Amino acid sequence: MKDPEAARPAADEAAVAVYDELRRLAAAYMRRERPGQTLQATALVHEAYLRLAGAGSPWADEKHFIGIAARSMRQILVERARARNAQKRWAGLNRVSLTESLVAAANEDAMLPALDEALTRLEQLDPEQARIVELRYFVGLGVEETAEALGLSPATLKRRWALARAWLFRELAAGGGTTDGRGEQHRGFR
Amino acid sequence: MTRDQWRRVRDIFERALESEPPDIDAWLYRQAGDDAAVRAEAASLLRHRTGTGSFLLQPVTERVSNLLAEERALQPGQIVGPYSIVRELGRGGMGRVYLATDTRLGRTVALKALPPLLVKDQSQRERLRREARAAAALTHPGICTVYALEEFDGELYIAAEFVDGQTLREEMVGRRRPAPGDVLQTARELAAALASAHAKGITHRDLKPENVMRARDGRLKILDFGLARVEESGAGSLAVSGPGAPSVEALPRAHPTEPGMLAGTPAYMAPEQLNGQPVNARADVFEFGVLVYEYAVGTHPFDAPTPLGVAARVLESHAHPIERPDLPPQVVDVLERCLRKAPADRFASAVDLVHALARDEATPRRAGGTPWWRAHQLATMALYFVASALAWQVKEWQPGTAGVVFLTIGVAASIGGVFRGHLLFAERVAGSGAVAFSAERRRATPATLVVDLLIALALVIDGMILSSARPLAAVLTLALAAGIGLARLLVEPSTTRIMFGEAEPTRR
Repeated sequence: MKDPEAARPAADEAAVAVYDELRRLAAAYMRRERPGQTLQATALVHEAYLRLAGAGSPWADEKHFIGIAARSMRQILVERARARNAQKRWAGLNRVSLTESLVAAANEDAMLPALDEALTRLEQLDPEQARIVELRYFVGLGVEETAEALGLSPATLKRRWALARAWLFRELAAGGGTTDGRGEQHRGFR
Repeated sequence: MTRDQWRRVRDIFERALESEPPDIDAWLYRQAGDDAAVRAEAASLLRHRTGTGSFLLQPVTERVSNLLAEERALQPGQIVGPYSIVRELGRGGMGRVYLATDTRLGRTVALKALPPLLVKDQSQRERLRREARAAAALTHPGICTVYALEEFDGELYIAAEFVDGQTLREEMVGRRRPAPGDVLQTARELAAALASAHAKGITHRDLKPENVMRARDGRLKILDFGLARVEESGAGSLAVSGPGAPSVEALPRAHPTEPGMLAGTPAYMAPEQLNGQPVNARADVFEFGVLVYEYAVGTHPFDAPTPLGVAARVLESHAHPIERPDLPPQVVDVLERCLRKAPADRFASAVDLVHALARDEATPRRAGGTPWWRAHQLATMALYFVASALAWQVKEWQPGTAGVVFLTIGVAASIGGVFRGHLLFAERVAGSGAVAFSAERRRATPATLVVDLLIALALVIDGMILSSARPLAAVLTLALAAGIGLARLLVEPSTTRIMFGEAEPTRR
């Protein structure tokens, strides 16, 4: 398993600050939260921005900030999912790999590590694709907001979002539950 | 795929979404006739796009927001309700376990907390409640007693008997193979504890060396009836789990463990558990078999290089033979029956296990019986020789029918001799407990029966031929016929029973 500390962008101090702030806010939020309520990550990111904006913010604008925050949200959620899955595992056997369909599985947290690894592969091919997924899926921004944050037209964003979903769906559906990061790459490229 | 190629794929994908061409293959060829890789990738992605459904459409935090909750550990000295935390004992999939003092009664307890990380997870809450309810119904010295289910500040705790000692896993790591008597004793204790739960309709479903503690006084205690399911027998009950009955497992989300997840630890799961089929006490019997086997032998009965390999072996292959001739045969037989694939072939519950293990038969398989069995085989082969020699003599005295009789005896004695010699050889090489040897015996039994009775019959005919001319020789011949016949019908079954603990090798 990857070391979460190593996965953190230690070089970028701004990112670390955002990461820590989001973690703290999320934890506080969860303590207040009533059971059954869902967390609005957009609200969380916005609050983090307001808190950090005053302190000589190293990012250009809120758009830039949201990009960093989205990346942090992805890291936090994937780390937690990994830690949680690790407890359920026996000697490296991921239970999910025993179930018929990874994608159809209701336990989405178990899918996150595999999704993260697929996303990392997609990122090597096309970084913008990964940004789209982080903003739409990990933060929950709408089409308009995501398009604005990335400087795309909403129509283009919609199509590229469809592309990212198709690419990741194929990876997860075909690659199965490998969480060791060596899922078969570029399946279908002959 | 290069980035340039990828950019072409992306553009083609986007154009396809815009124009939705009717003949996609021809259209793709027009877009990228020069690059087959680009064409194939675009086609693959367009194909997969149609199946994405709601994939990733709902933001992750709206679905698994509990992932964001911070995990908190209790510190020594901290007070939770009436409990004072002493130290953390360990962590598991079900949460942290602390050593604590119940200040009301002054007794030491093990306090198990539902992880705050999962505190909002209703299914985990429900699972813990069930654990407490199921386990609280059990009062057996071999089962860790549950005292109370507590709720403080919205968090759930189980207070249970604190067992000071080590798990069977720790015990197995730090020592050599246990003596045969220890194996029998351990199997009996575990079976008795499990039987008391089965008698109440409660199954464990996650038996493994980590869930069995050896207390300091040497007694065993089963922990964590965490996945236990109460088999309610009343009409309209939720958890119908008789064989063949529809199980709650068949219904996603209605299942008390997490939806889409398997309950239990894969390496110790019965085949039907791995297959997601209904389980009952017979799955516990299987897990018991795996556990005791591993305790006795030191390795998993379905050992394989990878965990998935183990699961595959559990589903498809036989257990590795037990390489311990010193074990009491009853233990070997019991384990062999516990590890059968079909639940119906195993013991119905641990109650039957207790009976099977109770027989006081601690003699190893090979002691005592083997020399008798070998002597019998050799003696029979000698009788074959005598019978052949006698038939030759009869033929010399009275040619004619006796010639045919001699031929019959000669052929039969040769075949019988080969079979018996082969059995002796196989027994020496493989050992009497080996599965391969059992198969040899099964094959040889009808042959030796036919051969021996044929020789006896032929000798009777010889005796009748001699009766008028040489009455004394005739009596001797008839006596030999009776000897061979009776040896096969009376003596051989008893030497076989002494050696193998069974009359005829029909069962194995």
